[in-house]
Amino acid sequence: MQNALYVGLSRQIALHREMDVIANNLANMDTNGFKSDGVTFEEYLSTKARINNAAPGDQRVSFVRESGSITDFSQGTLQQSGGALDLAIRGDGFFVVDTPQGERYTRNGSFTLNEKGELVNQQGYRVRGQNGPLQFDQQDNSITFAREGTITAINGNQNQVIERGKIRMVRFDNQNALVREGNGLYSAGGQTPQNVKETTSVTQGTLEKSNVNPIIEMSRMMEVMRAYQSLSNMMTKADDLRKTAIEKLAETS
Amino acid sequence: MRALYTAATGMVAQELNVQVISNNIANMQTTGYKKQRAEFSDLMYQSLRRVGANTSDQGTRLPVGLDIGAGVKTTGTPRVMTQGNILPTGKELDTAIRGEGFFRVLMPDSRTAYTRAGSFEMDDQGRLVTPEGYLIDPAITFPQNATNISINQTGEVSALVPGQTQNTVLGQLQLARFVNKTGLQAIGDNLYLETDASGTPQINNPGTDGMGTLLQNQLEASNVSAVTEISDLITAQRAYSMNAKVVSAADDMLQTTVQMLR
Repeated sequence: MQNALYVGLSRQIALHREMDVIANNLANMDTNGFKSDGVTFEEYLSTKARINNAAPGDQRVSFVRESGSITDFSQGTLQQSGGALDLAIRGDGFFVVDTPQGERYTRNGSFTLNEKGELVNQQGYRVRGQNGPLQFDQQDNSITFAREGTITAINGNQNQVIERGKIRMVRFDNQNALVREGNGLYSAGGQTPQNVKETTSVTQGTLEKSNVNPIIEMSRMMEVMRAYQSLSNMMTKADDLRKTAIEKLAETS
Repeated sequence: MRALYTAATGMVAQELNVQVISNNIANMQTTGYKKQRAEFSDLMYQSLRRVGANTSDQGTRLPVGLDIGAGVKTTGTPRVMTQGNILPTGKELDTAIRGEGFFRVLMPDSRTAYTRAGSFEMDDQGRLVTPEGYLIDPAITFPQNATNISINQTGEVSALVPGQTQNTVLGQLQLARFVNKTGLQAIGDNLYLETDASGTPQINNPGTDGMGTLLQNQLEASNVSAVTEISDLITAQRAYSMNAKVVSAADDMLQTTVQMLR
């Protein structure tokens, strides 16, 4: 009899987690390069608790618990931003930035220059090129990123175009094994970064918005809320049942 | 209930977003104004199950982790330093910069500020000043009764002085450029100050070494696009109300829990 309460409780805890994930997705709706999360649940069979009087005698009670959060790495919408150093990746791939903790990977291509003319992200971490950091001269004009990531600029009043390196983009075989570190950064999680496929390209002057779909998140939220309420209803019923049983069985005259 | 706080960070972020957008819209007609953009990033994650952790002694590993995010934060409000439209004004001291560079302004506290707004005036001594009365550096003084003032593309200022038949050269306007102009600090009045992030200014005549050229009788309008700002405003407003809905949904779940207690 107690089981109904605990089965219900396990689901309620799981629903709480799902609500947390939805809240995080919606809070990051406007975060560039953000990828939405989902939670997966798994059945957990209790070894002790059994439904002894149910039809096939030896049926174990199953609880629910969360098994993992799956990140949806699908492409976010591209928004024109106009900035010459705003980059978006089309297709699979990440930019590489040098943090004090080592290489980190990001989809947020809102870059700027630092006082030395190096390409950095919004936290000031240097963006990696194929051969080390990318540096521009103070007199560089019309910085252009080709679709493969090759950077060119015009220096001063000279008319010829100078190559300023190539931005590094990498991909991973198993994106879900990447470790999220906040700030839009991922660490490799033991994987070796691979070169991106030829279909992956970089677009200048655009930013990749988050891929959160607010309509889906809102409906998921309502679903969670209602499921939570119906569980609480069920648990109240189970409690009622027990209360009635105690009252009937232990009736004292 | 973490969802409550997570949604609260979302509401705070969107509130700031609306502030930035409304400032952009308010400055739509400000000469030389460069629009700002609110940049967000996700906060840290709590790993309830770490990806790649061993699930058995046989070396099987968790293929996916269980990470719960704590919301959103604002990383910064960088300026979008693109060229604004050039509008003819017909006023002879109005000067627009086409391309890179800033005019240098000598502040009353002897600091040097930088501006893109070339709506210059003349003070009582005939000096070239900003609308606030701050001197332009290098200083240019117009003699009394000077007419036919001309500022050419490379910044040479000349005027017709009484008694002369040809324009007399009065000075040379210079521009400053920064390796990271997004790193300049805005102090209002269309002025920017140099910071550690912007790098040191490189000063040169207009039209040389990649510096922009000057256009007389024109002003640079702001680079705010009304359509973009309004659609961003709508997005921000909706995002705010969705985050508010999460707060009330989380509250609803808590209330349900409370009601189980009788």
